[in-house]
Amino acid sequence: MSRIGIDWSDLSLPTVLPELVVTPTHTQIFMFSAATWNRHHIHYSRDAAIAEGLQDIVVQRALIGNYFVRLLTNWMGDAGEVKNISWKVLGSAVPNRKLRCEGVVTAYEPGVDSDNLACEMTMTNDVGETVATARGTVCIRDFS
Amino acid sequence: MNVTLPEAVQRAIGVTRKRRFEVTARDINRFAQAIGETNPIHCDPDHARNSRYGGIVAPPLFCQALTYEDASPEQLLADGSPLEISVPVPAVRAVGGGSEYTIHRLVRAGDVIEIKSTLKDVYTKQGRSGLLYMIVVETSFTDADNLPVALELATYIKRA
Repeated sequence: MSRIGIDWSDLSLPTVLPELVVTPTHTQIFMFSAATWNRHHIHYSRDAAIAEGLQDIVVQRALIGNYFVRLLTNWMGDAGEVKNISWKVLGSAVPNRKLRCEGVVTAYEPGVDSDNLACEMTMTNDVGETVATARGTVCIRDFS
Repeated sequence: MNVTLPEAVQRAIGVTRKRRFEVTARDINRFAQAIGETNPIHCDPDHARNSRYGGIVAPPLFCQALTYEDASPEQLLADGSPLEISVPVPAVRAVGGGSEYTIHRLVRAGDVIEIKSTLKDVYTKQGRSGLLYMIVVETSFTDADNLPVALELATYIKRA
């Protein structure tokens, strides 16, 4: 099967995905709240967040999921699609601190029209603390 | 720990709210910008037309933009948290816990999406700082042909 960019037949397990490093800013967090119409004050008011025991405004659970998706889509490009993804937030992510998303392909399941790849991912902050973990499945198919 | 939930919470479990939105190319572009995604299939009509999608498609988790109701500020709790987690548990501080997301297909501009949001469960866990109320919300997204687009099971955590 002809693939775009990656020779899937040579895929060895575990395959390490190219990491994604992001630094969410106040603006990015604000934009995501606006795009999702999330008015929860821990995402825009530092005073409110601190009053709730947080160190600063926090990155949304939902935005963290998108960073994991970007880790997958940056790697596979147009060769595949994300079928499912689950993630757990284990610690707060705050503005202007780097988040490092890493992942590996842990399983390859060939199919007739498409193949599935299972991936495990982690997100750590700039001092190496785990912020979130995730699992996802991507579907690789010949779209030509 | 076995904690009896308030009656109002027990009554709220299983309640479904429905709504419907038409998705625009602008919605998709704004969502892509909000997640830092620069792939032109989300914003450039010419590029998208020549791609295998044949037009603009949304990032995989775009339905997050449709998840919360367009509630007025007066309808929200004082902390502004979404109506979907306004469950009368004896706890006020909310954070997101996690999500299980299934994507059946990518959303396109012009799609009319029906959203059904159901409070699936509320349960307690003992955390380091005290009792935690775990609020589980299922949100399904279907298109005008009643075909599934996405399904999310989201967990939120409320602390006293």
